[in-house]
Amino acid sequence: MGTDRYAYASRLRRVDAVPKLWLTLGSLVLCISCDSAAVGLVTLVLMGALTVALGGQKPAVLLRFLRLPLAFLAVGCLPIVLRPLPAGEGALWAAELFGRVRWGITAEYLRMGLMVVCKAMGAVAAMYFLSLNTPMTDLTQALGRLHVPKLLVELMELIYRFLFVFSDTARRIRVAQESRLGYQTPRRSLRSMGELVSSLFLRAWRQADRSYTALESRGYTGSLDTLPALRTPGRWLYGVLAAVAAVQILTWMAERSWLQ
Amino acid sequence: MSVAIETRELSYRYEDGTQALEGVSLKAERGKVTGILGGNGAGKSTLFLNLNGVLTPSGGEVFLTGTRVSYDRRDLPELRRRVGIVFQDPDDQLFSADVYRDISFGAVNLGLPEAEVRRRVEEAMERTGVTHLREKPTHALSYGQKKRVAIAGVLVMEPEIMILDEPTAGLDPQGVSEILRLLLSLRDHLGMTILLSTHDMDLVPLYCDYAYVLRSGRVTDQGSPEELVCRPESLRANQLRLPRVAHLMEILAEEDGLPADRSAATIGAARKEILRLLKEEAK
Repeated sequence: MGTDRYAYASRLRRVDAVPKLWLTLGSLVLCISCDSAAVGLVTLVLMGALTVALGGQKPAVLLRFLRLPLAFLAVGCLPIVLRPLPAGEGALWAAELFGRVRWGITAEYLRMGLMVVCKAMGAVAAMYFLSLNTPMTDLTQALGRLHVPKLLVELMELIYRFLFVFSDTARRIRVAQESRLGYQTPRRSLRSMGELVSSLFLRAWRQADRSYTALESRGYTGSLDTLPALRTPGRWLYGVLAAVAAVQILTWMAERSWLQ
Repeated sequence: MSVAIETRELSYRYEDGTQALEGVSLKAERGKVTGILGGNGAGKSTLFLNLNGVLTPSGGEVFLTGTRVSYDRRDLPELRRRVGIVFQDPDDQLFSADVYRDISFGAVNLGLPEAEVRRRVEEAMERTGVTHLREKPTHALSYGQKKRVAIAGVLVMEPEIMILDEPTAGLDPQGVSEILRLLLSLRDHLGMTILLSTHDMDLVPLYCDYAYVLRSGRVTDQGSPEELVCRPESLRANQLRLPRVAHLMEILAEEDGLPADRSAATIGAARKEILRLLKEEAK
C-alpha cells in the first residue's frame, strides 16, 4: 500500500524510528515557519537527497511520489495568484470580466504563490523521508514511546493491520459481485456497493469476535504489549538534523538580507 | 501411558441454548499427536476453546497431567500458558503488522524478562522456519507463512499441549506437508503433546497416533488410525470417509475377494500389503 512497500526496503529500515521522526518534524517545522520559498526549496532538496542517499530509495520513486501532490498544489495556488484587483492597481497581467470586475496577477501574489508551493513541497519531502524509510509498525511503536496515549497507539496498530485484511475481503466481494453482473448499470452499482459495505461491516464485526478470542487464548488481559525487534539507535541522525536545520536557517537569513 | 490432558463428561452449552458438547471424555497422551475428527459443526472448535479456558465448561471436568483444571479467573493465565491454541485462520490470530512483534505477544504476556522473550522468539522462529520473514510485514506473507508465524506465536509460550484447529485447511499440498513435518518435529524433538482437528482423512494415518471421532458434540468412536479405518461404516455415519488408500484396500477385499489387510491406510503400508498379496499369488 503506497509508501509502505518502500519503507520495508529502505536502508534505514533497522534504524530506530524516534530519531527519524525528530529529523522529519524538525525540518518540517522550520520549513513551514520560515515562510520562505528558498527554505522550502532547500528542504525539498535536502530531505529528498537524504531519502535517496541514506534510505537508498531510487530517485525515480521519490520523484513519482513528489509528483502526486503537485496537482492539488496547483489547484490550491490558483486562487492565491489569480485574484480580483482594485481598479488602477499595477499588475503583471489583468483582464476585465464582464466589463466590470478586474482580475489579474500581481508580482506580490505571484511571489506568495511561489512561496506556498515551495514551502508545501519542502514539507512533503520531509514527510516522505519519514514514510519512505519507516515501516508503520515502527512509527506507532515510536509514538508509544513518546507518550502518545496507549489506547490511541493500539488502535492505530490494529486499524493498520486489519486495513489489509478488510481491503482484501472487500476486493473479493467486489469480484464476486462483478462476476454476477453487479455493476452493469449505475443503479445496480449503487445497490451492489451498498451490499458490499454492509456485508463488510458484518464481517468486521465477526472478525473482531474471533480476533478477541485468539488474543485471549494467548494471554491478552487488556493491553497489546509486544517486544519489537532490536533496532540500531541511530543517534547520528540528530547530527543530520542539526546540519539540515543549520542550512535551513542560513538560507532563511541569506534570503532576508538579499531581499533587503 | 502418561496422559497430558483428559476430559471427563465435558459439556458445553452456548448462551443461545445450543448444546455444543455433551459428555465428551477423551485423553491425549503425552508426546503424541491426537486427532479430533468430525464434520463441520461437530464441536471441535468449541472443545478446544474449553480446553484452554476461553470458554468455561457447563459440565464435566478437565485434567492436566492428572490435576483438575480450575476455571477460576486467577488460574486462567496459567491454563492458557500450558495449553496453546493455533487458530484455523491465521488472520484471526495475527493482530500485528510486524511478524516479530506478533510472535513476542504471548511471551510478553507471561511477564518474562526481555532477554528471555527475545530468546524464545528467536527459537520459535527457528523451529517454524520463519526467521527469514522477521523483517516482513504480516500482510506480505503467504497463507502458509502466516500459519507458521501463528504457530511460532503459540510456541513462545512454551506450552505443554499445543492445539491446532484444522492446521492444514486452505494450504497447498506443499504447505500441508511442511506443516505436517513441523508438527512431527515438535512432537519428536520437544516431546510436545499435540491435539488437532481435521477432516482430511488421508492425513490421519500419517500423523495421528490416536484419534477421536466427534459428532454433534459427542465422542462417537475412537482408536488408532489403523483401528478406525477397519470400521468404515462408523466413519461414514459420522460424515467422514476412509482415507483413499484404505478405500482401495476395502475395494480389493470386498469387490475382488483378495485377502487384503484393511488397516493399510498409508502408501507405505499399502505397498507392503500389495507386494505380500502378489507374492502369495505367485506361490
